[in-house]
Amino acid sequence: MSADAYLNLQKISAGYGRTQVLQDIDLAIGKGEFVALLGASGCGKTTLLRTIAGFALPSAGSVRVGDRDVTRLPPDKRGMAMVFQSYALWPHMTAARNIGYGLRLKGWRREAIATRVAEMEALLGLGGLSGRKPSELSGGQRQRVALGRALAVDPDILLLDEPLSNLDARIRLTVRHEIRALQQRLGITTIHVTHDREEAMVMADRIVILDKGRIAQLGTPEAIYTRPASAFVAAFMGAENVVHLDGACSGHRVDIAPGPLNKAASLTLDRPAPPSGKLEARFRSERLQLRRLAAPSSDTGTAIELIGRVEAVVYPGGEWRHTVRIGESSVLVDGPEALPPDTDVIVRVPTTSLFLFAASAALPIGSPSAADDRSPVRDRLTA
Amino acid sequence: MTRLLGPLLISPALIVILLLFMVPLAASVIGAFEVEGAYGLGNFTKAYDFYTQDIVFTAVIVGLSTALTGLLAIAIGGYLTLGENATAVAILRWLYRWPMFIPFIVVGQVLRTFLAKSGLFNSTLVAFGLLDPLTATSYLDWRGVVVAFVWKQTPFVALMVSGAMASLDRGTIEAARNLGASRLRILVEIVVPQVTTTLLVGLVLSFVTMMGVLSVPLMINAQAPTMITADIAFRLSTYRDYGVANALGLISLAISAVAAWFYLRVNMRQGR
Repeated sequence: MSADAYLNLQKISAGYGRTQVLQDIDLAIGKGEFVALLGASGCGKTTLLRTIAGFALPSAGSVRVGDRDVTRLPPDKRGMAMVFQSYALWPHMTAARNIGYGLRLKGWRREAIATRVAEMEALLGLGGLSGRKPSELSGGQRQRVALGRALAVDPDILLLDEPLSNLDARIRLTVRHEIRALQQRLGITTIHVTHDREEAMVMADRIVILDKGRIAQLGTPEAIYTRPASAFVAAFMGAENVVHLDGACSGHRVDIAPGPLNKAASLTLDRPAPPSGKLEARFRSERLQLRRLAAPSSDTGTAIELIGRVEAVVYPGGEWRHTVRIGESSVLVDGPEALPPDTDVIVRVPTTSLFLFAASAALPIGSPSAADDRSPVRDRLTA
Repeated sequence: MTRLLGPLLISPALIVILLLFMVPLAASVIGAFEVEGAYGLGNFTKAYDFYTQDIVFTAVIVGLSTALTGLLAIAIGGYLTLGENATAVAILRWLYRWPMFIPFIVVGQVLRTFLAKSGLFNSTLVAFGLLDPLTATSYLDWRGVVVAFVWKQTPFVALMVSGAMASLDRGTIEAARNLGASRLRILVEIVVPQVTTTLLVGLVLSFVTMMGVLSVPLMINAQAPTMITADIAFRLSTYRDYGVANALGLISLAISAVAAWFYLRVNMRQGR
């Protein structure tokens, strides 16, 4: 726990009935920080947010804001305001009354409420819409009214539960930046739940990746993207290509044994290497090199070279995306020029694009991992 | 041939409706204006002269019962939706529906023994020292009718209202709680406004049902003033006076129509 943390979660466990959803969550969030809780559905991110908000009671652990223990306080006594996934606007109230309701509950005078509501509407670009009911507003406008309702009471902490998931893709991109800019301007501590990796990357100061109720990794977007701590995080952050290799490791050095699907290589990593033995190598489709098998080889020392055959090639924009079969598995490789199907190729994975982990289960070399079978991206591109 | 098939298929239903509903209704409406072979307003002036007090009594009793039914249904639905004691909610959920399965005539019978001068209600009060036996009075008058109506109709409206409340976006309740609204405020300002339409449908149906109940006023309130239904039965069984009975029936229909109009008006305003 860092001493300057504003919101402190200690050893939080929570669940519904006998189902344990969260286990031993420790998290310290600084004042003014924007933290994204990122994970697949069912990983416990919404439960964690509801526990922080006070809608769910943890079975163990504590939630502290500043030097106050708020674990057992009701939701309105925590200085937090939440924006719900469905927005949860009150359909019978106008936008202005929705925004001003929290102030009415606090017993503000009518004129003071009107002033504050007008301030919120100006801040969120809702001018001229104050008399409309939620059903008369667009998705983006509703979202802003929900944000205004939460911000009007001037909370210490803003909680966002997948607030962008109901917007269409194009609006979502602009709203991301609007929310981030607003958060920076107000300096409000914000926790944002999302399952969208890119959304978390562009909005948050730090990202918490949750997996099965535990924190899989915590760090800045850049750290998580370039230095994933586990195969799960690497896969979640887009390194979905996976091959299994044999390696002898010591310190930062990895010697890859040659095999039917790969050439020998000896690499020096910028971090400690995993233990020797079966290795799971993960990499993204970009920043690779793809060349014909017959083409002259360059130095192999700083990269893994995999031997495969092109199965399909598509053009998603930018570069050509090849599906390359390597033994039993297949990987996606982007390249500047299209190589036709059935070309025998070498896929060169530079050390800087490579993530190596100890193989989780005893899988035969080159067999696809379970995670890859479920990847929707892969289904779409190989179909 | 196929063009005839459609009308042919619906004709049985149509004939049933025509013969069993439309024709008798038309006969009653026409009958209401028939005075000794000629048409006129005689039946209505007679009904007005004899039964004005009963007409007002009926409207007030049924109106009051509807209002009380609404309040109780909101209270029950609200507790089922917002209650935090799971056991109490479960018990209430199990308990509140029972009166729905008890016919009006049995309700009347039960309340006769319960609300009589020496009935269970008064004797309980006496036993607890809350009532002097000498000042005990019977509740078998308008109050008994209201109690019977409310007791019987509340579960029906509560069932509809709590169903509508249960299907609300829980987020709208949590958002209010998040901002510090008490449960009573959430009920009055957030939940009830979102279920107004359902509540009104339930209340209008209850209003019309209560307008047509004969057994309760006969068993609990067999004195003047009484309800229109008792008067209609009296005109028919004692005098075979179909004209005035039909006129009274039309007046009941008019009172019910006011309730229906009120409902439609609110519905239209909501739809806008």
